[in-house]
Amino acid sequence: MSEQTGKQMSKEEKDARFEAELLPVLDPLYNFAYRLTLDEDDANDLVQETYLKAYRFFDYFEQGTNAKAWLFRILKNSFINEFRKKSKQPAKVDYSEVEGYYNSEDVEGESGVASTTDMRTESVQDLIGDEVASALNTLPVDFRTVIILCDLEGFTYEEMAKILDIPIGTVRSRLHRARNSLKEKLEKYAKSMGYNS
Amino acid sequence: METRITDEYQRVSEEGYDTECEKVANMLDMVIDGEASTEEQVYFNNHLEKCVSCFESHQKQKLLKGLVSGHLKRVIVPESLALSIKAKIQETL
Repeated sequence: MSEQTGKQMSKEEKDARFEAELLPVLDPLYNFAYRLTLDEDDANDLVQETYLKAYRFFDYFEQGTNAKAWLFRILKNSFINEFRKKSKQPAKVDYSEVEGYYNSEDVEGESGVASTTDMRTESVQDLIGDEVASALNTLPVDFRTVIILCDLEGFTYEEMAKILDIPIGTVRSRLHRARNSLKEKLEKYAKSMGYNS
Repeated sequence: METRITDEYQRVSEEGYDTECEKVANMLDMVIDGEASTEEQVYFNNHLEKCVSCFESHQKQKLLKGLVSGHLKRVIVPESLALSIKAKIQETL
């Protein structure tokens, strides 16, 4: 039974195997799609399309291979093709607006200055998370992608090279440049909040 | 007046890096991402013990990675998504 390939399986068996092996990746896959498109509906469409493509090629999927990396690769390619087709850019969050918002809060809210100094409070944690997300969203999509794959999803350089179809050396240099760019954006924010890095 | 500088002082280190710091800077991401070999890791750690500026760069880069992995909120998958994927697959022959 376990030796059976997709081609010999009944549809019920194939569906059951597909769900058991590939649906557990739904959460990270949706998160990746959301970070690429920055839009819930687009992420939804992209994930559905990815699973349908994966289903079509499931006969060629070998049990025990890296299902997560395979799905991420399909999704990344769908994203590139989709956006090329529509010649539409992902929704952009205007970083300067977000930055301006925090700056004006800083200036106008002189009465509540002490509230942000306790790093343990949940709201500060949220604020940091929001700021990291805003900074990340302003990065070019190639930079955003490597940071998410590496730091959020924990893929190895080798897996990233396979997902993105680029040499490992390019993964390394892209990640390095992406981090420099993110650092720059976050340092600006840290300074505006009065932290000297 | 002639100044004699010995070869030893002028020697540029191997592998095309002018300084140990440059070599270590190049390893930084690999070390943080757990991709460095044991030898590279040892070289890196030894250098950090004697170089404050590389030590600080390492701290900053670790902090940056931690900001993404520890603070970036995960979005919640809509409940309907898994159901609609299953439904579409069942329709597919």
